[in-house]
Amino acid sequence: MRAERELQSPARVVLAVGVSIALAAGVLALFSQDLGSALAQFFLEPFSNRYFLGNYLADAVPLMIAGLGVLIAFRSKNFNLGGEGQLYAGALAAGLIALRVPAGTAPVVVWIWVAVAGALTGAAIGALSGLLKAFWRVSEMISSFLISAIVINVSDFFITGPLQDPASNFQTTRQIVPQFLLPRILAPSKLDVSLGLAIVLILVFMVVAKRTRVGFELRICGENEEFARYCGIPVAAYQVAAMAVSGGLYGLAGALLVIGPQGRVMRGFSSGLGWSAISVALLAQGNEAGVVPAALFIAFLSTGSDHVMMGSGVPSEIISILQAVAMCFISAGALPRFRRRQS
Amino acid sequence: MSDRAMIFVDILKYTVVAATPLLYASIGGLFSELAGMLNIALEGLMGIGAFFGMAAAGLSHNVFIGAVAAITSAVAASLLMGAVTIRFRANVFIVGLAINLLAGGVTTVLSQRWYHTKAVVAFSLPAPLPAFPAALAQIPFVGPILFSHSVLTVCAWLWAIGAAFIIRNSRHGIRIRATGMNAQAVSVLGYSPDRARVAAMIWSGVGSGLGGFALGLSISAFVPNIVSGRGWIALVAIYLGQKKPLWIAASCLLFAFAESLSNYVQGFSSIPPLLVLALPYAVTLVSLIAAGNKK
Repeated sequence: MRAERELQSPARVVLAVGVSIALAAGVLALFSQDLGSALAQFFLEPFSNRYFLGNYLADAVPLMIAGLGVLIAFRSKNFNLGGEGQLYAGALAAGLIALRVPAGTAPVVVWIWVAVAGALTGAAIGALSGLLKAFWRVSEMISSFLISAIVINVSDFFITGPLQDPASNFQTTRQIVPQFLLPRILAPSKLDVSLGLAIVLILVFMVVAKRTRVGFELRICGENEEFARYCGIPVAAYQVAAMAVSGGLYGLAGALLVIGPQGRVMRGFSSGLGWSAISVALLAQGNEAGVVPAALFIAFLSTGSDHVMMGSGVPSEIISILQAVAMCFISAGALPRFRRRQS
Repeated sequence: MSDRAMIFVDILKYTVVAATPLLYASIGGLFSELAGMLNIALEGLMGIGAFFGMAAAGLSHNVFIGAVAAITSAVAASLLMGAVTIRFRANVFIVGLAINLLAGGVTTVLSQRWYHTKAVVAFSLPAPLPAFPAALAQIPFVGPILFSHSVLTVCAWLWAIGAAFIIRNSRHGIRIRATGMNAQAVSVLGYSPDRARVAAMIWSGVGSGLGGFALGLSISAFVPNIVSGRGWIALVAIYLGQKKPLWIAASCLLFAFAESLSNYVQGFSSIPPLLVLALPYAVTLVSLIAAGNKK
């Protein structure tokens, strides 16, 4: 046997964060002509004024909401890989409502409808994978991915077909009228009140997890399925519910983007968000409260790389590389020691 | 030949072409599946193989060198995956996901650096080497469907047959299967289950690398997201084929037929193309459910 050193969970997080930042700096050093200014753009510009700070926080909000959902699914050992499609479908449902309601409707009513419709759409799609797992023993990873691929194609059809804005050169729906958009905070940035909703949701899920029977039973399902069955816990119901909650929060995140920063449904706008939410959940290490710093960190990486891309010609896709490296470090259970232990 | 027969022959001919990348990747993935690791990184490994294979082929103007580069790059990535999961005891799904993200990132960043575009990079390559004498391809119906293909396509079938033999008959294949069934028993017998797992990852890399390269060659270009779900479809083919190489090959043909049909229907019908594009995924999903129920 090879000698190993167990990695404690805080050590993994510190390693993952540290290595991905170091790697970001390394990539910048390789690719940019002026390293000093690229580094400044990456690390400082997002915080340099009200506008950039607000936009940065706005990027973190959907990651908090969707990341929370992934975390809940993880806790019951369900791996939802359909986030991209669930987010997109939630956004489309939101767009359909926000574009169709009569102009005189009270905005609060529209927001509630949009949020509920987005969440339910995502939840239905997520629950489908849960059902397939519970009753047909189909891997939820593969089914959620395939369903998501179908959903994305169908949504693209609606966006570029029946809902296409005839006046726009982009593949997008019409703009949603301004009074139905969520109130902004930190104007002129894109940050809106959904930040508050994200925090409230995280608090609610914390209470449910720590203080209720449902939260407790969900945890047991994840830790030992056999034992949970033996205790009479309806494992299949929890599998479906966990996938539904995860899909629902993805859908909600998509819906809030449509009546928030995006203001319309654009083809391909979800690209990457579904995967980033998984990084957030991994970084949070099974802890709801950890979702906030984790989302802020992932959003920082993506905002930072966007700023650098504008400045120094490094494509913003380096964010995927940084996330991949962070994921590996978070998931590693042990660091091998390279000499044998004397025993 | 009537028009309708021509169309039919075309669809079947393209089915064989479209099955090639699926077949390479799913047979590769079969090895890691048998060793007990569901390899969700086939998608990413195919993307890596497609990019580095096409880049090397474009640079050297030599398809063979491209194939070697595709295999080398995908095996390097799958060894990385093996190292992190086996040596560092990380979760194989999370690392698989990470490899998928990494593949998307690396290929796009390098495409931007080398070719200054994140869109289509077209390569002018020598014409693919035909595997059969031209006369055979002239046979009506059967000729174009079976005998008009390149060496790379024929090799995909040899790869499947070879894998069937290795898995069933060789000591190496038996150790990989035994590791998946009972790793402890393998180590009690004095063999290293970790070594079998690493070998399985290498096979996965070879298969998906070549699969990605075949995909690139079929359009003579590289686009980010060129794989677009085929790695996942290859994964489902393993289940639908019940982990038996020849049944997996049949499953690949089924999915390739769906792809070929959807390509054809896109051009010649009033059904919106974006909906038609969802057809291969839908067929895959339905067959995944069918395969799941059988257990």
